[in-house]
Amino acid sequence: MTERPAQLVPRPEYERAALERAVTADVARPLSLPERLSEMDPVRKLSVLLSAIVLWELYTRLGQVPQLIFPTFRDTVIALWDGFANYDLGRQIWTSLKVLAIGYAIGIAIGAVLSFLAVTTRFGSDILGTLTAMLNPLPAIALLPLALIWFGLGAKSMVFVLLHSIVWPVALNTHTGFMSVPEALRMVGRNYGLRNVRYVAKILVPAAFPSILAGLKLGWAFAWRTLIAAELVFGATAESGGLGWFIFASRNDLDIPGAFAGLLTVIVIGFLVENVIFRNVETRTVVRWGMQS
Amino acid sequence: MSAAAAARPIHVRPELVRTPADARTVGQVERPLSALERAWNVDAVRKAAVLAGFVALWELYTRLAGVPTILFPSFSETCVAIVRAFTDFRMLSKIGFSISLLLLGYAVGLAVAAVLVVLASIWRACADVLTTATAMFNPLPSIAILPLAMLWFGLGTFSVVFVLVHAVLWAVALNTHVGFQGVSQTQRMVGSNYGLKGVVFAAKILIPAALATILSGMKIGWAFAWRTLIAAELVFGATARGGGLGWHIFEHSENLRTPQVFAGLFTIIVIGVLVENVIFRNVEIRTVQRWGLQR
Repeated sequence: MTERPAQLVPRPEYERAALERAVTADVARPLSLPERLSEMDPVRKLSVLLSAIVLWELYTRLGQVPQLIFPTFRDTVIALWDGFANYDLGRQIWTSLKVLAIGYAIGIAIGAVLSFLAVTTRFGSDILGTLTAMLNPLPAIALLPLALIWFGLGAKSMVFVLLHSIVWPVALNTHTGFMSVPEALRMVGRNYGLRNVRYVAKILVPAAFPSILAGLKLGWAFAWRTLIAAELVFGATAESGGLGWFIFASRNDLDIPGAFAGLLTVIVIGFLVENVIFRNVETRTVVRWGMQS
Repeated sequence: MSAAAAARPIHVRPELVRTPADARTVGQVERPLSALERAWNVDAVRKAAVLAGFVALWELYTRLAGVPTILFPSFSETCVAIVRAFTDFRMLSKIGFSISLLLLGYAVGLAVAAVLVVLASIWRACADVLTTATAMFNPLPSIAILPLAMLWFGLGTFSVVFVLVHAVLWAVALNTHVGFQGVSQTQRMVGSNYGLKGVVFAAKILIPAALATILSGMKIGWAFAWRTLIAAELVFGATARGGGLGWHIFEHSENLRTPQVFAGLFTIIVIGVLVENVIFRNVEIRTVQRWGLQR
């Protein structure tokens, strides 16, 4: 292919007439107060919540929904107050949370020991791998009938079932977190001469913390669901305590505002744990360390 | 400076000649592994050995300690119970009952979540509604709604599906929404460059880019739904005659037929393993791993 000299096409010269003074009136307008308010996240979310409550109240009042089917917001709040004042709702919450805390603490301890064994010996890793693959997909609540046979009605079978719902997600996530710690960090640890417990505590745990925290959150979610379900089953089979039982008992007495009050309490506790406790732990650890945004 | 350097004597290291070592005296440098060692290095063999070890321990414990069958049946009794449960067709029909409920609830939950998230990615007001609703309802165990659902919809399929939808919906919606928000601006701009808008934009840009998060949401949703279904069937077993695997466990534990309870647990484990390690694993391998989004 031969190169041809390009034909140069000169563009005609031209001059622009002087522009008039630009009218730059409203380039940056300060936002009005409602606009600024609607930019704020908490304000928007609160208004969503408020309008949901208003809708609820309006629907139940104007739609003449019987209280037995869907109580008004006002009835629910009154029932909540009544529950705290007359029906020991506070003690039911305490019963539930105590069992949950015991189960969670023991579960984390077992999960920690299992994943420590798994990360230090290959055989331990095989045992953990087989156990989690088998037992993680098994809903903990399915073990409740067996636990009832073994330990009888009561806190012991509850803790057993909770343990089962916590140990496997925590151990699985911790183990995968440990496995994906980059080789460079491991070598730094070995350079410092860290071994066994100190190696795990100073290198592996901080490096795998996002994954460990995810496991803890998943374990909490499973445990919370299992606890409520177990209390419901208990409520169906025997007199007992706890939030799930409170909901079940209120519903059986056709005290639907009471059941709604129980649900509201469950929501508030779950919300507090997930968005206050876990969120705070996250901002203080993995977010501060720059591992997660 | 230079005078001081000159004054210091230079140490000369004596020359050194090494005689090469006799290679014949070194012995075995690289030893071929024996068949046993090689077998032990295979992952599947070790896991099978662990499993066999557990089974052997179980059988020995129940036989030697003389544990009554009602408390803890031996492995052989459990196997007999499993075979018995599967040879008459009741177990299969129970599995079918549970799975069909689960699939229905899961499908409806996914569809509702998809609609909510697409709306949320288009309008900010919808995003606010979605985040507030997920923050409130995600920590609420769906089984807690079951007593109310039974009141609203009666005993039966519809209440269970309602509860299952609740179990799936929030986990999937939360993860998908977070995933959509994490899609990089570059990929979004590629999409708008192609003139994609609305649903097509979501389907061609947002969903593939956020599939890793969406899949983890779907896995969590499945786990919640599976747990909720079993719990619902247990509660239903306590309050009314239902069907399904949870009910199977409940019924047989009430009658103290523990081997049958173990058979039910075994079936639940097998279904769970199949869904998590076969179905979801395959989807992951074919999508996010192949696309390099996840190792």
